[in-house]
Amino acid sequence: MTPVLATPRFDNLYRMLTLLILLWGLSICALQQAKADDHSAAAEAHIEAMIGSAKNLLAIQNSDSSTRLRQVTELLDTYFDFPSITRFSAGQYWRAASAAEKQEYELVIREVIIGTVVRNFDQLKGLEYSHVASIEKGSKLVLVSGLFSDTVGDRPSMSVNWRVTTLPGKPIKVLDIEIENISMLVTQKQENIAIIRKNKGEFSALIAAMREKLAS
Amino acid sequence: MRFFIRIIGQKISRVSLGFFVSSVAISFVSGCTSLPENRRSDLRDPFENENREVFAFNLGFDTYVVEPVADAYRTGVPQSGQRAIGNHIKWAGMPSTAINSALQGKAENAGLATLNFLINGLTLGFADLMEDDTGVHKEDFGQTLAAANVPEGSFLMVPFMGPKTTRSLVGTIGDMVINPVGILARSDELQTINTLQIPVAAVDLRARTFDAFNDVKYNAIDPYSRVRSIYYQTRAGMLEDRVSSTIGSSASDNEFDAFFEDE
Repeated sequence: MTPVLATPRFDNLYRMLTLLILLWGLSICALQQAKADDHSAAAEAHIEAMIGSAKNLLAIQNSDSSTRLRQVTELLDTYFDFPSITRFSAGQYWRAASAAEKQEYELVIREVIIGTVVRNFDQLKGLEYSHVASIEKGSKLVLVSGLFSDTVGDRPSMSVNWRVTTLPGKPIKVLDIEIENISMLVTQKQENIAIIRKNKGEFSALIAAMREKLAS
Repeated sequence: MRFFIRIIGQKISRVSLGFFVSSVAISFVSGCTSLPENRRSDLRDPFENENREVFAFNLGFDTYVVEPVADAYRTGVPQSGQRAIGNHIKWAGMPSTAINSALQGKAENAGLATLNFLINGLTLGFADLMEDDTGVHKEDFGQTLAAANVPEGSFLMVPFMGPKTTRSLVGTIGDMVINPVGILARSDELQTINTLQIPVAAVDLRARTFDAFNDVKYNAIDPYSRVRSIYYQTRAGMLEDRVSSTIGSSASDNEFDAFFEDE
């Protein structure tokens, strides 16, 4: 008597099943790849759009300081992920902060970051951005790498990495800028944590120090 | 014989400055008490109180000496002159890069650095005769020690030199000792150029990063911790050959991975 598992009919069924599993696996992989490509392409497009907007601002001559502040604030609100920046920059102390402290910190860190960008914005004049590569870092972040080159040639080229958030259901935004391996957000976070730790873990001390600096 | 005595004399005078500063730093640190972990603003910084005092001294030195000189340099010296000086400083570091690359088994980088040194040596490095030298990664003795798994040690703020770790401070002394450029400097003029390299490199670096440095110095809430953070990130990038590289990864990736895991 021939066992059932050795019949030609079972053999065909087995082959079909294997083929189906293989096709299913391949389609999952293809879908994931397509999704990854979508995220990367969207992140790159976001950076290109931001660079375009920044160039337009730099081209405007004779902007007084209040106009420049307003323009840069609009630019940052459009392209930057302030809620994530706020949480990241407070490190592990974010969770322990009270609701009132969180609300206050959100306002003050925003002011600090906008102030930093406004002060340094004109340094972008004469720089040309070129895209190099994009790499997905999980499903929520894309690292877009590029190069800033001086059109006059006086300054050496600078490598730049943009960390772009691709959070489900939320618009694509920039979380961090990293120039020559120095992350602006990690630097801000480490400075903030140092201030909190020097003040025995008091989150309010950071807010007070930031307010004091902004007022000076 | 006289030649060798002179060479040794030159070496000693150049290295002695580094030794002096380093020994002051080391003896200063050895007299300091290590802060308990819960009182440090960064766990890697056990001598924070003393380091902050040295940092204040360095900032004062910068305000009264380095910043005005760097400002005059960047506004007074033509761009072509600044480029030539920058080229020379980079060229003078090539032997050290070649030696340290070889010690770390990075044969290609060692070869490129040697080639760069030999070709640009025709102009003493003031003109860059190689069209593209971006392929050469700077390697120092601190990186060689890191490659040999020597522990990083504590964070130190060294008078005049700025931020270092114990390992990178030892590396800096090592680089001064093994740098063969001094041996090639036979004439008085070349000796002068060689001796002036350290202060000129400091002014050149300060001038190139003038606005960014001043932004940290005058606008940071805590300039000390900001400088410490920038130092560690730059160093991490150098240890992983990531500075000036556009390979799509960075030394800060872990910080962001942890952030999104917690979200």
